[in-house]
Amino acid sequence: MMDFDMGDEVAALRTQLRRLVADEIPHGYLGAFTDDPADLEIAQRFCRTLAEQGLLCMAWPEEYGGRGASPWAQTAVREEMWAYHEPRGAQYMGVNWVGPTIMRHGTDEQKAQHLPAIAAGEVIWCQGFSEPDAGSDLASLKTAAVRDGDGWRINGQKIWTSYATMAQWCFLLARTSKQERKQQGLSIFLLPMDRAGIEVRPIATMMGPHHLNEVFFDDVWADDADLLGPLDGGWQVVQEVLSFERVGIARYARCEKLLAEAPGVLGDAWDELPEELRGRWVTALVHCRRARLLAYRVVARQDRGQVTPGDTAVYRIAATTNDQTSADVLGDILALSDPQGDDGQRWARAVEDHVRYAVSATVASGTTEVQRMLLSRALLAAS
Amino acid sequence: MIIDLGDDAAEFGRVVRDALGSAGGDELVQRAEADPAGREALVGDLLGDLGLWELDVRGSGDELEAAVAACRSVGWWGIPASVPERLARPTDLDADALVVVGGPRPAAPVHGSSLRWVAVDLDGRRSTPTARPLPTTPRKAAMVAEVDLTPVDDLGVDDVLFGLLLPCWTLLGMLDRATALTVEYVQDRQQFGKPLAAFQAVQFQLTEAEVERAGVEELAKYATWSVATRRPDALADVLALRLAALEAADLGMRICHQLHGAIGFCDESTISWISRYSLPLRRLPLPVSGTRTELTRRAGRQGIAGLYA
Repeated sequence: MMDFDMGDEVAALRTQLRRLVADEIPHGYLGAFTDDPADLEIAQRFCRTLAEQGLLCMAWPEEYGGRGASPWAQTAVREEMWAYHEPRGAQYMGVNWVGPTIMRHGTDEQKAQHLPAIAAGEVIWCQGFSEPDAGSDLASLKTAAVRDGDGWRINGQKIWTSYATMAQWCFLLARTSKQERKQQGLSIFLLPMDRAGIEVRPIATMMGPHHLNEVFFDDVWADDADLLGPLDGGWQVVQEVLSFERVGIARYARCEKLLAEAPGVLGDAWDELPEELRGRWVTALVHCRRARLLAYRVVARQDRGQVTPGDTAVYRIAATTNDQTSADVLGDILALSDPQGDDGQRWARAVEDHVRYAVSATVASGTTEVQRMLLSRALLAAS
Repeated sequence: MIIDLGDDAAEFGRVVRDALGSAGGDELVQRAEADPAGREALVGDLLGDLGLWELDVRGSGDELEAAVAACRSVGWWGIPASVPERLARPTDLDADALVVVGGPRPAAPVHGSSLRWVAVDLDGRRSTPTARPLPTTPRKAAMVAEVDLTPVDDLGVDDVLFGLLLPCWTLLGMLDRATALTVEYVQDRQQFGKPLAAFQAVQFQLTEAEVERAGVEELAKYATWSVATRRPDALADVLALRLAALEAADLGMRICHQLHGAIGFCDESTISWISRYSLPLRRLPLPVSGTRTELTRRAGRQGIAGLYA
């Protein structure tokens, strides 16, 4: 018989995480990526605390510093962290997809070098995928690694690279050979960001600082030890990365939290809102639940080894559009109300942040259009 | 966490679907329309032989799961044979079927039915419905008649849960079928020298319908668990399911019709039958706006149960 209760252990974990957030993170924290460097410090400190308590990489195998926790425990971590404005900062990338990808494809030396550092919350990664002329059509990228003696020389440009200004490592996708299909001949390099020839230029955005950057590679040296996975076989690794990444952020959790808080923050003024708006509010809550359950579908199927790109695409489309429609509803509630007190002001700032950030939801980690292409392919192939 | 129907329930759903397929499949809805008085008998014995009417829908979570799987399979064929209504029948009244009524002109798909019906409104007030004569043909009415209600009692709070839940599974089955028919059609139908499925505009519309359909499936399972375990929020959970199901049906059926083009209006295409017989499920007891209003009223400032409420 079905049971949608995650159980006592996960409930206790949520309680523990919420207590940690309350103790360690300032009330009203809006994430690590602000103009105030102290916010990044808070995130880095919080990651170390999570790591010390075994909460950072719970679902990782024990041999890599994890606890072998259930996928539902890891789901709860994702939900709680995103709901509280991701106090792990950029670490979620290391936990969600960099580490697991290195576990699958890394050499023993790469595992030994990188996994303990991620598990300890000590290192930030950025993802060198998109380029000015290779966004949704990622396989058309031009950044090239050319053989030079016993190593490689890398030249090219990446763009939309989140957290590159603060990252110590880059998970870089580059062309290593020209072959019949553009998806062939690509390889992954793990490069330290302080290697000679790498330059980062921040891009000012409506989401705030650190979210987007350009990264230039000018004759950057790499050797074979920097290669992750098979030479020329990087595209398959990227597909795995994206499948991890696309369920890695529990966007619905922040939407749900902000929506659920609204009546309490507004008090009696809530009842004065137009009935139409309160109807949209309850609809948004239903859509948050729908996105959450679709995420659980992916988690369950991943756990059974049965997840398909179509399953992930359904979730992504539902979750990212929900992010934006929830932002519309929250923005309207804010525009028609006057939240009072510290809680009201904090909620208003969080809504304002969400409204700006949600704009990127249907673009980041693969646009909605790419998701629709993947889903339609799955639908048509299944018939 | 177990988020899928049990294996036995899922298998039972497949058996029901196959049995209905063998008994006439898409012809069943046409036969039902031609003979409204015989539409329940058309599949009643067949489903009875499979043990459907013996399921303890209210007392056993496993058997409720089998019942919802069967309702979904009935929806696949679009048969207006009062199956979810029979499965939702009250156990404390001498009745064969239950229908939830609402709105200013209570109505129900009871035309031609020989079953003993009980009606219940969203507040649990039960009554005996008497069907008025149809002002139109059964075909146009899709078996829906306005009803006069003779009060019985106000003990139907539990009935509301099952009376709303089970038809949502039938509607989900209709969405399953509409999507499958459309996927098949756009691959067969050629225009401009290639299948419709080759056009991205067509592909993207399909995905819109599928995202909605898949969402309903997950909400339906969640609401079934909520009802089976009689969670305090069960009614809100069922209303939340119904709201999403109606939104999905409005969008999904519109897309499926659009992609079928003119053939989709014609009796020779299955989508036209599925579409027409989805209408009573989508309009009664309350359509989208009425369901949203009801859920909003009941949610109050609390909202619906979730991670932060």
